Amino acid sequence: MKQIKIDPITRLEGHGKIDIFLNDDGEVANTYFQIPELRGFEQFCVGRPVEEMPRITTRICGVCPEAHHMASAKACDAVYHVQPPPTGKKLRELLYNVFYAGDHTTHFYALGGPDFVVGPDAPKAQRNILGVIAKVGLEVGGKVIEMRKRTQEVIKTLGGKQTHQVTSMPGGVSKGINEEERSKIEEHCKWFVDFGKFTIQVFNDIVLKNKSYVDLILSDAYSMKIYSMGLVDEKNRVNFYDGKVRVTDPDGKEFVKYSPHEYLDVIAEHVEPWTYLKFPFLKKIGWKGLVEGKDSGIYRATPLSRLNVADGMPTPAAQEEYDRMYKTLGGKPVHATLATHWARIIELLGAAEMALDLSRDPEITGTNIRTIPTAVPTEGVGIVEAPRGTLTHHYVTDERGILKKANLIVGTTNNYAPISLSINKAARGLIKKGTVVSDGILNMIEMAFRAYDPCFGCATHSLPGQMPLVVNIRNKSGEIIEQIKR
Amino acid sequence: MSARQHTVLVLGLGNDILGDDAVGLHAARELGKEFQRKADIVEAAVSGFEIMEILEGYEKVLLIDAVVTNRHRPGTILELTKEQFRNVVAISPHYMGLPDVFLLAEKMNVEFPTEICILGMEIMPPYELREELSPDIRSALPELISKGKDVLSRWTA
Repeated sequence: MKQIKIDPITRLEGHGKIDIFLNDDGEVANTYFQIPELRGFEQFCVGRPVEEMPRITTRICGVCPEAHHMASAKACDAVYHVQPPPTGKKLRELLYNVFYAGDHTTHFYALGGPDFVVGPDAPKAQRNILGVIAKVGLEVGGKVIEMRKRTQEVIKTLGGKQTHQVTSMPGGVSKGINEEERSKIEEHCKWFVDFGKFTIQVFNDIVLKNKSYVDLILSDAYSMKIYSMGLVDEKNRVNFYDGKVRVTDPDGKEFVKYSPHEYLDVIAEHVEPWTYLKFPFLKKIGWKGLVEGKDSGIYRATPLSRLNVADGMPTPAAQEEYDRMYKTLGGKPVHATLATHWARIIELLGAAEMALDLSRDPEITGTNIRTIPTAVPTEGVGIVEAPRGTLTHHYVTDERGILKKANLIVGTTNNYAPISLSINKAARGLIKKGTVVSDGILNMIEMAFRAYDPCFGCATHSLPGQMPLVVNIRNKSGEIIEQIKR
Repeated sequence: MSARQHTVLVLGLGNDILGDDAVGLHAARELGKEFQRKADIVEAAVSGFEIMEILEGYEKVLLIDAVVTNRHRPGTILELTKEQFRNVVAISPHYMGLPDVFLLAEKMNVEFPTEICILGMEIMPPYELREELSPDIRSALPELISKGKDVLSRWTA
């Protein structure tokens, strides 16, 4: 096969692009998946007081500002060598779990989930929440809208503002809650738990009872045996807000468990000439290319990975679903990319249960909500699980707390290599000699990365504009023989 | 969002640390100086369901946002109506866009504006963190504001 060198000038500006190179026999030789990188983060941050970061970094993503707010706050705690008091920590956790339940709701019902609920063969115009409503009933639309409204109300109460939260700061939070607020939040959380159970039932009825869907989940085109990553608590249970990062190998055995400040000992980044984005990988294993297996340093950080690395969920209903998922799919670990959708709704239920527990915690209305920092600021790392993967904020300051350096690994960046691999596998499975590449094939390839809930840069404009995905099919000379746009 | 005080809403959308993506926010802010007694003025960085919640209950909405089509020169203003979105399918794997929002509101009988005017300004893909507008967009902003004023003057006369 002729080696195609991609001129750096063709590196992507804009939305996602997939290039599929065919060999002499018309089979897939290589695939290249490119997404834009958010640039200039460090330059933007250097010179700013570090305590501003929890308020600034909410703007990095209009979909998951809460994740950046929390990771940043935790990094600031570390910079100032201070820990929030129990009430302060629990208030942050409460907000975060409520956010999680809401965010996963949007993805399951409106974004990635429709692939299953409506079906992978359905026309693209139906693969959205409207298709879900048509399939499941009008009631589900009402519930999803209500779920979003309720979660936003709680987030506004705890976060100070609905979209760009402001309450987390070094050492804790700026605002507590009184009994009246607590009681309202508890009522909302009860509703969230019921909604989580409803969602599990929807998945059960529409997806799991459909053998062709289960076969698709377990198919080789969507399977990938690589390392898994996720935060766990002191009992190795899933935790979205705090704990240590655990990595397990493709067989499910613990490979490493690290504290946030150790992340640079574990993760390195590989550079390829055809993309701006770097590929994080496990340093000790090494970068072996875009390949699977125990000898490849590639890892996944997704809802499925989080459940894979954990020994269980911290709440009962979610634990029951966790057990059922692994029993259905043949035991731990599960490497079926499309099972990420199932893992996501188990997390939705778990987050709702955790939020309810926190809303009932006797300390949640306490008045000691912040430990005032007294130490000289230096350097700190904060890690949370963003819905779409492990999120790391790393700050270095001078003795006044003014930023000198800042680094960020966002959820989707962890998954750049696995997404590329998933697309490669799907393309190889679907495009053979003589295959007519169609919109249906495009959708099947898209399903491979939609399961990751990828974040393609964080501009929040909502108007339809440039197609977010372009798929180029190229011959062995690199010439485009077919292009499909979405 | 605070309680609705008028039947007309000006909604500027954008990300204020992604350069030209903030053009909608700038336009809404300027329009607010003249129209704050006649319309609710909101600057927001939201999408999908949150947009639906903001629009609910208003009769008329002027929505201003940046747009990337790669088919126009940066600074070009596109004027769109709700009807033009009817046949556009969901475009992002990460958030719900306006077409889905409009269709969903209709399907769920949400009390939605009868008239929506969307002013979009073409920008270059905004993937670099910065707070300022580029020179091209800064010089095109007055025209965007002027078009917004035309719409609001008609609606609030």
